[in-house]
Amino acid sequence: MKTRLVWLRNSGQTVAVGAANSLPPSSAVVRLDQMSGPVYTVPVPDMILDYMDFNDPMLALSSWIGQIGDFGLDLVWRFIHIVVTLWHIVSGIFESVESYAISLGLIQKYSSIDIEKLKCLAVVVDIEAARDVSKVIELLQWLTTIGVKQVGLFDSQGLLKKSKDMILEMVPRSVLLQETGEKHISPDRIALEFISSSDNKEAVVKAANILLEKYLKSIHPENGVGENVFTESHLNEALRVVGESVHVPDLLLVYGPVRSHLGFPAWRLRYTEIVHMGSLKYMRYGSLLKAIHKFTGVRQNYGV
Amino acid sequence: MLSLLSIFFTCLALILIPCLFIFRRPSVPLFLKKAIIFIKTATSQYNDEEERYGTIEGKEKRGRMPKHVAIILDGNRRWANKRGLRVSEGHEAGARRLLEHVMDCFAIGINTISLFAFSTENWGRPDGEVNFLMAMFEKNFKSEMAYYDRYKVKISVIGRRTNMPESLLGLIQEVEEATKSYKEKHLIMAIDYSGRFDILQACKRLAEKTKNGLIQVEDLDERMIDKELMTSCSEYPNPDLLIRTSGEQRISNFFLWQSAYTELYFPNVLWPDFGEAEYLKALTWYQQRQRRFGLRV
Repeated sequence: MKTRLVWLRNSGQTVAVGAANSLPPSSAVVRLDQMSGPVYTVPVPDMILDYMDFNDPMLALSSWIGQIGDFGLDLVWRFIHIVVTLWHIVSGIFESVESYAISLGLIQKYSSIDIEKLKCLAVVVDIEAARDVSKVIELLQWLTTIGVKQVGLFDSQGLLKKSKDMILEMVPRSVLLQETGEKHISPDRIALEFISSSDNKEAVVKAANILLEKYLKSIHPENGVGENVFTESHLNEALRVVGESVHVPDLLLVYGPVRSHLGFPAWRLRYTEIVHMGSLKYMRYGSLLKAIHKFTGVRQNYGV
Repeated sequence: MLSLLSIFFTCLALILIPCLFIFRRPSVPLFLKKAIIFIKTATSQYNDEEERYGTIEGKEKRGRMPKHVAIILDGNRRWANKRGLRVSEGHEAGARRLLEHVMDCFAIGINTISLFAFSTENWGRPDGEVNFLMAMFEKNFKSEMAYYDRYKVKISVIGRRTNMPESLLGLIQEVEEATKSYKEKHLIMAIDYSGRFDILQACKRLAEKTKNGLIQVEDLDERMIDKELMTSCSEYPNPDLLIRTSGEQRISNFFLWQSAYTELYFPNVLWPDFGEAEYLKALTWYQQRQRRFGLRV
């Protein structure tokens, strides 16, 4: 009777090694009670294990090579992660240095920006960052210094909306966009708009309701055909009726750990440049200036 | 011996990994294919852990590999201009890159891939280019139909379809019909697609349902609109990761409604040059991000 050396996986952390005399040749399931002789437990990485016939050295060798190969590839994959992380750290350091140089005015090309090209800027703030209103106020003060005229502030849960009065009070020369309208902003003022997730899909649903009712009212009793109210201009109008702005921001700055617009009104994002700025807590004036300067150099084909 | 071999692999990686980031077309494709296959193994281990533990931590680990990747294939014309080639050759190079990537993506566990092949705004391009693109889509559907059938890839084409040539429409219907029963791999081609039109047509379909008495106006909500969008053909309609090549940092009317919590990745490489190295970088970058879906952690 052949003695088989059997390896068992136990919760991915240890393996039991022992001899089994009574297994059928192709058994894939082995219990501890089927093993005879001493049983040793060995801590190993969670790898795919198999049992091997100790009497066939070539099979044993190829199985070993396969397991070592898997382990090696595991190391390589983890190493890729380390390399990419290091790359990001190094590039982050370079960006910090560059940002400080821009803030100090050492880099000539950022000293003058054609701000007229940036008609509407939107800022997306992560909800954790939105709790620190002082940083948001500081950001708005920087934007006022740069000369931005219209800023939409978004956070998914509407925390900035709740702090609207404080922000308007603390940011010099700021007005609420809804009060002035887009066309009546004075040159020395900055118009602020406060947006949350309720202005995204919920608003589109309300606007769709308006269009639905308009469509149903327009159905001819003879032919059952209604007016085509499902066009972009109709939906824009319906959004205005529910109190939403339809102005498309030229540039969207995302402050947070994730490069995602976090539910900013989808209808308004068609051709918006989206730039991830990192954490609001560690925001830098130089990075802000660089992002706006880069935007002024962008040329869009709009698909044509 | 184990430690010697692991040292050997680490040294090999130290030499070869930098090549991934320096050279556009690494000269060791076999190594990269092994790495890609290995990613699949590594992530299957994470999925095993999640099933075993079933905790919030396990659920977070499930987010390691995106289920739905959307790609805006930008940069074909610039790629051709840089090389002094015709625009059509740029598009052909882009189509070859696409076919190379699709199966690699499915092999590592991605369920759905969406490709923004032609936007509604692209009809404004020169007639010659538009006709070439339509002919190229037709040619690729014909030549690759057997391939998708063999590898059980479900094909869906989303978009307006009103301006497409009849021959292409017929072919699209044929491919969709032939592959509709496949579930695990789904390739969505967005041809003549517009994110705004997608939202409007969803509203229109709901209007028709209301007219026919199937739903009431007051029942209309976000979920109903979700179900009427063109991406409702997919098990995972909202992309986890959206890649736009060529360095442009905007989504250009693609998946406006669906991309609320999508990770946006804008590599500075043109689509025909988007190779395995760039793809590995995108996935590694995705795995390092923390997604909270608007909730507090």
